Amino acid sequence: MATSQTPPRLEIAVAEPELAAVPRVGWRGPLAALVRKDVQLELRTKQTAIGMVLFALVAMVIFQFAIGSRTDDATPFAAGIIWATVALTAVLAVSRAWAAEREGRTIDGLLAAPVGRGVLLTAKAVSIFLYLLALEIVVVPLAVLFFVESAAATDLAIVFGLCLLANLALAIVGSLVASLAAFTRGRELLVPALFLPAIVPVLIAAAGGTFSVLGGTDDMAELRGYSLLLAGCAVVFGLVAYATYEFVFDD
Amino acid sequence: MTNARGTRLLAVTGTATALLLAVSVFGIFLVAPEDADQGIIQRIFYFHVAIALTSFIAFLVAAIYGIVYLRTRKPEYDRIGVASVGLGLFFSILVLITGSIWAKASWGTWWVWEDPRLATFVIVLLLYGAYFLLRSSADGERQARYSAIFAIAAFASVPLSFYSVRVAQSFVHPVVFTPSGANMPSTMLVWFVVAQVAMLGLFWTLLQMELVQRRTDAALKRLKAQLEVQ
Repeated sequence: MATSQTPPRLEIAVAEPELAAVPRVGWRGPLAALVRKDVQLELRTKQTAIGMVLFALVAMVIFQFAIGSRTDDATPFAAGIIWATVALTAVLAVSRAWAAEREGRTIDGLLAAPVGRGVLLTAKAVSIFLYLLALEIVVVPLAVLFFVESAAATDLAIVFGLCLLANLALAIVGSLVASLAAFTRGRELLVPALFLPAIVPVLIAAAGGTFSVLGGTDDMAELRGYSLLLAGCAVVFGLVAYATYEFVFDD
Repeated sequence: MTNARGTRLLAVTGTATALLLAVSVFGIFLVAPEDADQGIIQRIFYFHVAIALTSFIAFLVAAIYGIVYLRTRKPEYDRIGVASVGLGLFFSILVLITGSIWAKASWGTWWVWEDPRLATFVIVLLLYGAYFLLRSSADGERQARYSAIFAIAAFASVPLSFYSVRVAQSFVHPVVFTPSGANMPSTMLVWFVVAQVAMLGLFWTLLQMELVQRRTDAALKRLKAQLEVQ
């Protein structure tokens, strides 16, 4: 029998969230936890790190046959080869930055967690920094071995100092690009297209600084200038990331 | 449903720009003195430098409207941003073409990597080319938001690119503007200023044209949506 009665309204009492009762979450704990998560995942699978090292080795071999085999002494090209290899390989680290969250479908959970958006971006920047450092620990000595006629241990130490400065800028840009690409179509195309042109100033400074150490000129004024430029890049990109991070995940 | 005021403004700025361009072409080729060292090819610099500055201004406008969009979320500011980036790219390509012509006349080669400004514009072109790739990869509100973020970040990296290229390379390019002022006589400076104003007028006119077209497009989409609902 059809009834004209309106169905009883289902009243659901929704308690107002008591904001004061929500414990304040600092940034250090979540940041450490997020970075630890990325490191542990990588240590278990070793997928990205091994892929990056293999890619870097292939890139260096390609550079050798493209440039090195045309000259008796590849020392002047070593700095360029190192940083071209790092830049191209860094694309893999940036592309894979949100891969675990995407593949495990945990990205929404992470965004819903009471963690600041800035912490998420910083955690990814730290992860990319660590990937790059691991890569450079393998690539820089091998590149020196392959392409530089003679280099002192202090030269290598200075180059690693430059690597740390360059990684800072690369990781900040990488984190921003990775986070933008995480929610877009065709991210495998987007990451290199966005990341590589943005890091050109970092590469110019890093390659210039490395050349002033490994190229045989030992020009300390040049090294200082390029180091300052690298620091400047890190500061500028850091400020941009700081100004825009809350809008990246503003969904 | 186009904005009639915007169309009227476009007619005024368009006419003024056409006149300014005609005056600048006349002044640069017939009135301005010839450079003693470089001869007639130096005259391309009036356009080359003016176009280069205009392209930077276009990217600056995109970055400013990127900030304004992120604060207000009004689609109009996104439209201004995307139109400015497109025009900035157009002017950047003109910079490369005029710079290349000058390189051929001066050094006998179409391209010189040692020139920091040309190299910077290649990087700028690649950087802002990616802007449109990003834009086509995102949908809805995210498209405008990501575009705004990228316009800000890309503009911040332009001076870094320029400075790094300049630091890394020898200064083979004549420096027209130095910190102590313009390195040219006042008779040349007048025509440079006229060319610069004409280029800015061209940018402004093209921007208005693009905005009229984009507003019409948005209005048409709204109308279609309304008709589909009915």
